[in-house]
Amino acid sequence: MTVTDVPIATPSPVLAAARRRGRGLAPVLPALALIVVVFVIPVLALLLRSVLEPEPGLQNYAAFFASTTYLKVLGNTFLVAGTVTVATVLLGFPVAWFLAIAPSFWSRLLFAIVILSMWTNLLARTYAWMVLLQRTGIINRTLMEIGLISEPLPLINNLVGVTIGMTYIMLPFMILPLHATIRSIDPAIFQAASLCGASRFQAFTRVMLPLTASGIAAGALMVFVMSLGYFITPALLGGTSNMMLAELIAQLVQSLLDWGLAGAAALVLLVITLAIYMVQLRFFGFGQARG
Amino acid sequence: MLLDFARLGPWRVALILIALLVGAYLLLPILLIIALSFGSSQWLQFPPPGWTLRWYEELFEDPEWIASFLTSFKIAAVVTVLSVGIGLMASFGLTRGTFRGREALRALFLTPMILPVVVLAVALYAFFLRLHLNGTFFGFVLAHLVIALPFSIIAISNALERFDRDIETAAIVCGASPLEAKIRVTLPGIRLGLISAAIFSFLASWDEVVIAIFMASPDLQTLPVRIYGTLRQDLSPVIAAVSTLLIALTAGLMALAAFFRKDARS
Amino acid sequence: MTFLEISNISKTFGKVAAVNDVSLEITQGEFVTFLGPSGSGKSTTLYMIAGFFEPTAGDVRLEGRSILAEPSNKRNIGMVFQRYTLFPHLSVAENVAFPLRVRRRPAGEIARKVEEMLALVRLESFADRMPAQLSGGQQQRVALARALAYNPPLLLMDEPLSALDKKLREEIQDEIRRIHRQTGVTILYVTHDQEEALSLSDRIALFNQGRIEQLGKGRELYDAPRTRFVADFIGHSNFIDCAITRSEGGSADIVLPDGGTLNGISLHGAAVAGARAGLMIRPDRLRFSPLGEGAEPGIDAVLTDATFIGETYHVVLATGWGASVNVRIPASRIRPQDLTMGTHVRLHWEAGDARLFGQ
Repeated sequence: MTVTDVPIATPSPVLAAARRRGRGLAPVLPALALIVVVFVIPVLALLLRSVLEPEPGLQNYAAFFASTTYLKVLGNTFLVAGTVTVATVLLGFPVAWFLAIAPSFWSRLLFAIVILSMWTNLLARTYAWMVLLQRTGIINRTLMEIGLISEPLPLINNLVGVTIGMTYIMLPFMILPLHATIRSIDPAIFQAASLCGASRFQAFTRVMLPLTASGIAAGALMVFVMSLGYFITPALLGGTSNMMLAELIAQLVQSLLDWGLAGAAALVLLVITLAIYMVQLRFFGFGQARG
Repeated sequence: MLLDFARLGPWRVALILIALLVGAYLLLPILLIIALSFGSSQWLQFPPPGWTLRWYEELFEDPEWIASFLTSFKIAAVVTVLSVGIGLMASFGLTRGTFRGREALRALFLTPMILPVVVLAVALYAFFLRLHLNGTFFGFVLAHLVIALPFSIIAISNALERFDRDIETAAIVCGASPLEAKIRVTLPGIRLGLISAAIFSFLASWDEVVIAIFMASPDLQTLPVRIYGTLRQDLSPVIAAVSTLLIALTAGLMALAAFFRKDARS
Repeated sequence: MTFLEISNISKTFGKVAAVNDVSLEITQGEFVTFLGPSGSGKSTTLYMIAGFFEPTAGDVRLEGRSILAEPSNKRNIGMVFQRYTLFPHLSVAENVAFPLRVRRRPAGEIARKVEEMLALVRLESFADRMPAQLSGGQQQRVALARALAYNPPLLLMDEPLSALDKKLREEIQDEIRRIHRQTGVTILYVTHDQEEALSLSDRIALFNQGRIEQLGKGRELYDAPRTRFVADFIGHSNFIDCAITRSEGGSADIVLPDGGTLNGISLHGAAVAGARAGLMIRPDRLRFSPLGEGAEPGIDAVLTDATFIGETYHVVLATGWGASVNVRIPASRIRPQDLTMGTHVRLHWEAGDARLFGQ
């Protein structure tokens, strides 16, 4: 949702040549000071503690990777992030497609729903799923009333609940970039494919999918990496026995006060996140990453 | 064929079905909250056995909820002003400066947006412990400013890049001083970017919960922190009432943004 | 009396000399155009006068006083830009009022001046429109009104018509000419379009590689180009390779590649006997007649192509050594049957129409 301005202009030819190198740093300084003091230093300090506390060395990393508990947390994190990514691609692609071609009223309506959902307070949305998924919640009660199940399904306080809630939250981040990708395709390409003798299925697999592959990949990487570090939804919809990485970091700090190990876990999360962003930057550029 | 809705054949049925399903998936939870906030059942029965404004009354009579609401609003308001101001200056430097490392600096400013918030939350919590800033208004403002600033910089830089700089030059040739030209011509020219920056900065602070959970003290809790704390205990319908108000606020801000966009086109 | 004096200004960007020792004197009320290909230094020179660039060397004096120390906003110079630079958030009237408002003029005077300026560009009824509601041509007219609102002694125009289509361009050219006559403002105009330059200006300064190649009235540049660049840039020209056999004073004898000789052609630029040169003749100054009719000196050629382009014929001929020569002949002066392909003809011209440029 970016609000755009005035007609696009190329950089001024009048002044371009007059620019001298090394100008214009001063106005950036307040922002730079803020980011360095309130972002760079604290984060580096946290990461440093992972190799300094309780004593200098890599024992925190050794402990992290030796513990089956922590490895299971890492496994859970990847499992949930992977499932959410696949689910958002499968659901998001048809929706993005629909948005690109459906009659204006319907596509606008659905688009408004997607945007509204994206910007609705995260806690409000998570609350809705807590209500829906609880033992005596609407979903379980409805299923029991129509006789599909006799016992309430365990939908909350486990990874099922987390996955359902996170898919809900991540869907807009998949739909919006995919929508932009599909809209940028010239419809005449499919008329050409049709004249060349391609069936709908062939046109889909041989033309549409290749043309949207980069959009799908960009959206998938973004959803995956956002899911990896998510905290609120897992904390409220998940259970204590099946944590994700972000929850673990929080718990290490809040309950166990183990700053060294928390720093190590944070670094693991950071490295994975940045590595995936590097892949994204390398192949798709930053602009597309944000949709 | 594939991009022509009318000629999609049997695929159209599948597409409509999925769109309907996902539309419901995205919309129904929001409608559910709104319905429950007016429902009379303490245990969130659906459909509600009756209708009531009881939860809103409870909400507005509870000084703690009111205090949280005001706290969140004050923090978000201060963050918005600072974020737009600092972001405006930074954007001028980033789009017009000629110093080395401009791109690296831009990337640095945007990093807080892509980093997992929990890492920043834990890091700031530790840092603010030493500075005794946890649980303070100033601490909240600083932390939320880091989250909000990238939105400001993106919105304002985009607007500045689209703004034809010759227009500012023309104002100077007309006799305006460089500062006067910026205030009278460039700022109105990028006003939509400034409005976007303000809206997004406000929402970034207003909705921020992870950092706030770590930093909050019993005396200073933002709205999201109080919601989170309440949710960990029970699913009170009062939360449905709060959520409904938040949804209304979001929808209002979105309508505002849409209005300004339309205004720009006419 | 000299109104604007540009003396020996230069501008270097890094190691590149964009403007190299340019001098120019302009009298009040004159319309002078800087013409030249892109990168020739014409715009850079204009920007130095406007105050966007600081000259590396030299001086600019307006009414005898150097203006280089003043910033752009204190020079009191009007300028119209290449792109429409109207303030998008202000109405047409407010755009025109802007320079007066920043000068803190009284409201009554501003209102009067805005009305006067909009009348000058004939946009009175558009006062309350926003720039986005105007066509490109109207926007440039408002920009012109804005630039003149504070009675600047000097108006700079930086390719103001390049964003408009051909028909609008001609329309606004007339408008600019009328406004120049009406206001008597001194105008410095930059363009790469020679027709625009010829139709608008009192004098043209033709720029090439950071220098003024030739300065003069348009007709002078066309009829008496001093360098091969000027001859090539203004109007169409044929250049025939030849070698100089004798040069003396301003004239020379030459030998053509087929061995033919021509004597006493006016020579421009240093060239000694034996040097290669280019014989320049405008296509509309060339004539041809069937071989054997009369014995005028000239060049023998074969007719290879003839196209009727309305009013004139465009005829292409090949010389004995394979060079092609263009000729333009009014349709009234030739019969179609005289334009048979393969006809052997002799090209000839009036003595004053050929010019020789040393290489």
